[in-house]
Amino acid sequence: MARQLSYANAILEATDQAMALCDKVVVLGQLVDTQSGIFGTTTGLVTKYGTERVQDFPVAENLMTATAMGAALTGLRPVVCHQRLDFMIYSLDAITNWLALWRFKSNGKSAMPVTIRTIVGKGWGQGPQHSKSLHAWFAHLPGLRVAVPSTAYDIKGLLLESILGETPTIFVEGRGLYSMTDHVPEQPYRVRFGQAVVRRHGRDVTLVAIGSMVPIALRAATLLEKEGIDVEVLDPRTLTPLDRHSICQSVAKTRRLVVADPAWHSFGAAAEIITSVSEEIGDQLRAKPIRVTLPDSHTPMSMALEPRYYPADDDLVVALKQAVS
Amino acid sequence: MNAAPSRLSHRTITQIGRYEAVDLHGIDKDLALTLYSQMLRLRRTEEALHREYHPAEEMRCPIHFCIGQEAVPAALSALVRPDDFMFSHHRSHGYYFAKGAPMRELFAEIYGRETGANGGKAGSQDISHSGSHFYSGAILAGAVSIAVGAAFGFQHAKTRQISISGFGEGATDEGAFWEAMNYSGKKRLPILFVIENNRYATFSDQLKRQAEDNIVERVTPFGVRATQIFGNDVALAWRTLHTEISRLREGDGPVLVEAYTYRWNSHVGPEDDSANAYRSGDEIAFWKTNCPIALFENKLRLQHWLNDDEKDAIEQEIAGEIAANFQFAKDSAFPTDTDWHRMTYEDASPLADALLGTAAGGNFDHYQADAKLGPY
Ligand SMILES: Cc1ncc(C[n+]2csc(CCOP(=O)(O)OP(=O)(O)O)c2C)c(N)n1
Ligand SMILES: [Mg+2]
Repeated sequence: MARQLSYANAILEATDQAMALCDKVVVLGQLVDTQSGIFGTTTGLVTKYGTERVQDFPVAENLMTATAMGAALTGLRPVVCHQRLDFMIYSLDAITNWLALWRFKSNGKSAMPVTIRTIVGKGWGQGPQHSKSLHAWFAHLPGLRVAVPSTAYDIKGLLLESILGETPTIFVEGRGLYSMTDHVPEQPYRVRFGQAVVRRHGRDVTLVAIGSMVPIALRAATLLEKEGIDVEVLDPRTLTPLDRHSICQSVAKTRRLVVADPAWHSFGAAAEIITSVSEEIGDQLRAKPIRVTLPDSHTPMSMALEPRYYPADDDLVVALKQAVS
Repeated sequence: MNAAPSRLSHRTITQIGRYEAVDLHGIDKDLALTLYSQMLRLRRTEEALHREYHPAEEMRCPIHFCIGQEAVPAALSALVRPDDFMFSHHRSHGYYFAKGAPMRELFAEIYGRETGANGGKAGSQDISHSGSHFYSGAILAGAVSIAVGAAFGFQHAKTRQISISGFGEGATDEGAFWEAMNYSGKKRLPILFVIENNRYATFSDQLKRQAEDNIVERVTPFGVRATQIFGNDVALAWRTLHTEISRLREGDGPVLVEAYTYRWNSHVGPEDDSANAYRSGDEIAFWKTNCPIALFENKLRLQHWLNDDEKDAIEQEIAGEIAANFQFAKDSAFPTDTDWHRMTYEDASPLADALLGTAAGGNFDHYQADAKLGPY
């Protein structure tokens, strides 16, 4: 069997390999130098590379991001890690007012190759302050790349591409994906930004699934196969840049579109994808496009409400059936 | 009282009357004339931009003039090295010159021309000159935290470079400033924070915003060495910064210097903002009496290091430079490129190209269960 690695271990391997390949790579974050190492994604790096390259940071997310930015100006390639996206919100000034526009404002003369990793909690009562997936906020900002990898293979390649690249990048990682394994080649390799992947070929309807919705989408597609509905599942892998071309190509074939986004309903990535398709080939659609998202509400803690809040396989089955009906 | 008291406060500073404590100790004639010329060059530049702003209507960006605040930038200009990094705020021109960035690119930038330091994309309050390692930005305290990162980089690389962050007392209202104090003090980073305390953030007195009208006493508990100075005395500013920068290069950081000074003009632009009645005539008169350039010039004349002819020669050189740079800005083309993608994104990734190959993936098994989350 091909070499299998979990999503968390793929992150660790990518970071480790980037640090071995380039001595400018440093890792910053609260508790990155501990045994637990951000759910195992930085474990052992401090032993291998020392406290100079793997640095714990005060609970000061804005300064942490800005420190990474200033360090990048001096030639370093920092990887910034947040245990939760909700904590990272303190760094919105650094990201929005400085990092995203640094290249633009300098007229292309100055760059900040900073990689920001952030985790979205889901389940076990994470509640409204440990579970927000604000990938659309960051994708709205010009100047950043936003990755929403769903598999161990993808996150390794995208991380290496980002850490050794020149553009500031935000990785929005689904905590629920961390244990999932995938075939991950041992050597350092790249996955390009802006290249969607067809995870399952189908003729009847295109299902674009983002991040942690990908396994759910694939399960729903398998369920529908038994009912003779052939679903094409497409994973954009990155939101900025967004591979609009591949999405449109798929929809041009199936003429039906459902988008599954693990984020709020309104003003989100699902809306952007549907709009992009409508603008390009809207006249070829045979059914109204559908988005399957979280409700426009905050995450409930109770285990009784959590399953009703998060869309699951059967929600996708209903939406897909509606699209082909 | 003609020297500054040991504990400075904007509430009491006018009691100094006419400041008579300029002292050339440690400063030779060459250095003195450099400091003087730097101050005069900054003053004349700002006066010229102020004068031309409206008649020409060609400088279509906010400009925060720094007339009256020339001493600190002039002192810095004689102390920073080309490979040091400097970060400033919206009132950027003094620091821009202090880092040795070219006047012609400043003028062209303000005029929105292609030849500007940033091709006309940034303007006065956001200007940077990466060749000179000079960066500014209009969001208060944002650049202070980025300067911390540059110091982090220097400490990591074990160089003797230092990071300098210049800003106003207003930025110290922000939480980001205090995060910077905490971290740089803890890490003993090679960073110099220079606060030009001119009492006001736009029209708001520091005492409307903070319990005290100094910063130094509140940063020392963080592990940041801090000194107050009468910021219109360029000789004192140079001596203080000289000592502190030397210690920084030896690894003895961080340090904060709080220079009490005053802006003569409105907060922004040439329009008069005195209708807001936020500062008294006595206060303005005190600071104009103690003009940093006049104070130093008197001393140089008493010392016979400067006479009328020599001053004229300096004035003429500066006037010629300013005139030539206005001409350069006005003769330069406006930007025409509207390739927004290229302006905003770097598509090339040479390092990744050199180090990374490609590898085929496999089939993803979608029947795996989500990670089971624990309490954290
Ligand atoms: C984060 C942020 N809030 C508000 C402003 C608006 N603003 C521009 S300049 C200024 C006052 C700045 O005062 P200070 O830092 O003392 O510098 P000075 O203008 O006195 O040189 C303010 C509040 C801003 N630029 N950034
Ligand atoms: Mg001020």
